[in-house]
Amino acid sequence: MNDFLAQIPIFLVFIPVVFSIIIYLFKAKWTTYLSFVSQVLLLIAFFAYLSFWRLHPGDHLLVFGGWSERIGISFFHDGLSLTFSFLAIFIFSVILMYLFKFRRKDHKFFFFFLFLEGIFLGMIQTNDLFNMFVFLELTTVLVTVLISYQKSGPSFQAGIYYLLLNTVGALFFLIGIVFLYNVFGTINIRVLQELIGTQGDRTVVKFAYVIMMSGISVKAALFPLFTWLPKAHGVAQSGISALLSGLVVKGALYVLIRMERFLFVEAGFHMNELFFWIGVVTAIVGVTFAISQKDMKQILAYHTVSQVGIMMMGISQIGLTPFYGGVLHIINHALFKSLLFLGAGILIKHYQTKKVYEIKGALKTFPIVAVMLIIAMLSISGAPLFNGFVSKSMIKYAVKGNFIKEALFFLINLGTVTSFIKFSSVLFGPKAILVKEKNPLQIISIIVLGLSCLGIGLFYQVIASSIFGITISTNLWEISHFLDYGLFLVIGFLFYRFVVKKDYLPFQKIRHFKLTFESANYMFVVYLLVVLGVVFL
Amino acid sequence: MSPILTIIVILVGLYGLATSKNIIKSVFCVTIIESGLILLFLNLGNLEGGSIPILSGLVENIVDPIPQALMITTIVIGSTITALALMLCIKIFHHFGSIEWKEVLGREE
Amino acid sequence: MIRRVSLVVMLVIIFGFFVFSILDLEAFFSTFGKDYFFENGLSETGSVNLVTGIYLDYRLFDSLFEAGLLIAAVSGVTWISQHEITEKNATFMLDRQSTPTLFVTFSRLVYPFMLMFGIYVILFGHVSPGGGFQGGAIVATAILILYYIDVQKATSIDKILTIEKILFLTIIGVGSISFFTKGTFFTNPFDLSASEQVKAIYLITLNALIGIKVALGLVAIFTAFLKEGR
Repeated sequence: MNDFLAQIPIFLVFIPVVFSIIIYLFKAKWTTYLSFVSQVLLLIAFFAYLSFWRLHPGDHLLVFGGWSERIGISFFHDGLSLTFSFLAIFIFSVILMYLFKFRRKDHKFFFFFLFLEGIFLGMIQTNDLFNMFVFLELTTVLVTVLISYQKSGPSFQAGIYYLLLNTVGALFFLIGIVFLYNVFGTINIRVLQELIGTQGDRTVVKFAYVIMMSGISVKAALFPLFTWLPKAHGVAQSGISALLSGLVVKGALYVLIRMERFLFVEAGFHMNELFFWIGVVTAIVGVTFAISQKDMKQILAYHTVSQVGIMMMGISQIGLTPFYGGVLHIINHALFKSLLFLGAGILIKHYQTKKVYEIKGALKTFPIVAVMLIIAMLSISGAPLFNGFVSKSMIKYAVKGNFIKEALFFLINLGTVTSFIKFSSVLFGPKAILVKEKNPLQIISIIVLGLSCLGIGLFYQVIASSIFGITISTNLWEISHFLDYGLFLVIGFLFYRFVVKKDYLPFQKIRHFKLTFESANYMFVVYLLVVLGVVFL
Repeated sequence: MSPILTIIVILVGLYGLATSKNIIKSVFCVTIIESGLILLFLNLGNLEGGSIPILSGLVENIVDPIPQALMITTIVIGSTITALALMLCIKIFHHFGSIEWKEVLGREE
Repeated sequence: MIRRVSLVVMLVIIFGFFVFSILDLEAFFSTFGKDYFFENGLSETGSVNLVTGIYLDYRLFDSLFEAGLLIAAVSGVTWISQHEITEKNATFMLDRQSTPTLFVTFSRLVYPFMLMFGIYVILFGHVSPGGGFQGGAIVATAILILYYIDVQKATSIDKILTIEKILFLTIIGVGSISFFTKGTFFTNPFDLSASEQVKAIYLITLNALIGIKVALGLVAIFTAFLKEGR
């Protein structure tokens, strides 16, 4: 029995893949309901494996074919990968519930969607670098198809931009793998970790590190390389946008964590500072763009960029409290950003417009959706009692004691609050007269997300100790947190009322700023050179 | 020496990506980077020299078979990506009447 | 202009780093993989061609998803190209220009040999250069030549896609047989000590399945492009 339980990670990959193909092959009316069956089976498999893991805690390695670890492909599980697997299954289930009604007769869509789920779960579990590259490319292809699923001109354009830029990133990731293989004769992450620890101080290993990190930064949407993200969000449907922001970007960040924390952790390249500053710049640029946008989805898309920056600020401090804060923020962001996109999707569908200033009175017209949106906005701007607060205050340890860093962190928070005050203008105003569609599954999906945001915000101590095995000392009920947040709200509101709403020229300039594809690649070269310079000098 | 030549191929592809203004050219630049990468890996596997990794007859020294096995995968990945990208190009041409990045990206709304 | 010059300067610097790391590599490269496969490859996998041994045995999981990538891309390409899927095959070569007679005649001559060569490469992939992916590509080329010979030959993409997906499920199934015989997924189901001929049954089956799948996938992609050409 234990033998069988140890093989469950394979089923986590193949259940959605096989179901996706079955749905594609049998185009009957009832087959799309099989996607829920697949989701339920996945959850059962996951919890069976979790209970098995609880009995034998620690690092689990599953080598396929019974070969030695150094030769074969293997899956690896620890607390982090299990957390991410659960997050992926959860978000996919919620988005499936959200999308099911309009897509009920579209078998192809379910094929791509479930296939992507299997691939994503594989990417999280794999312990082999080349296998990781294959999964990265597969996600790129599937996400491209999902982005251009509507088959309009702009969606093709965003699709090809995404496809080419991310392929270049993945190819550079592969060049790093090539060098590592030739130095150490293996591409297994765990074996490489030990080998790099003992004999990693070489030019070629450093170079491989730089190239792999730069490649994966494209997918993670770090500062100069994030341009594909707003384009893709602009054209994709709300469900797909939620998937893209909530999970696909997080997948790249997960790979980055695996590289930094596992593969190269003992080489000691001391890149913490560089990645911290890249995070800061990403956050500030993202937030600046977000303030100037008028399109609901663009505001949310640029917010993903800025939040990725905040996560990077945390993740860069490996092994310290901010690192765990960064990981927790990835989970939290997956929840509240999906909630924001899904809620905005319902509004956009009913109001038939994406412009923030043209949507009015959501609070009276769609009370449940509006309440959930408020929860998500409070979470993302870091209000106490909500989940964003916990992870942000953990990341704050990274800036303690350094005045410039604290000021920048303050600015980022202020920008977030301001742009969500802008976003919240959709809530107020008179009730709009619209034809409402009844879709209980959709409402359930956003309520589930909203409740999980609240749940993590209130019970963070249990969650942090069960996932990371650490205790968080932040006291939730301290009155100063509420005062701080109130201050942010007041300053943010004043800034919004007297600066942003006037729509001065700089904001218009920023709003219409677009980076061409050549320039994006030029930025990639520059980025590569900067990282090279920092590592070698 | 030959691994260094393959790197020139990769960098030429990168130069092309950062300067070309045509979508089809960009697609081919990605293909060039990929070919350079494949050649690089095969060349690095052949640093010591040796015969092909097929053990029929009397073989004393072989080249590393792993790069060859991995590069088959990379070739398939590359070809599928090129196919998808070219299909998107055709569709973009049908919608915008142009395959210049400038004209395509300028007309977003 | 400034941009191009600065680009060249940056690329030259990156080139320098590349050269340094390769020079470093030439002093310290590992021969672990090479030695391991030279000693154990044939006895463990039963494949004389070590490359086939690796992608059908040691790293079968990668090959599964390589096939999966092909499926995803084929479905994506056919979805993006907008024509109805039931429509019969394209006839654009007739529309645009008549294919030269010389070309058609020679294609007729070459076609059976190409097909035979492709099938040979697939079936003998474990003892000689070749394998499922390579042979599949050759078979696909042969089938494409058929379009030149007889444009009226009709294949429906829908059928191709269905067969391709069933084949993918079969490949996963064949890869999983070893779980019932050995207790571990994705390897040769026969015992490690079995003779080469017995192990070859598995290798040939899997190579043939992959070969057909790759050939169908490439034909489907090409057909989708043909329809766009009109």
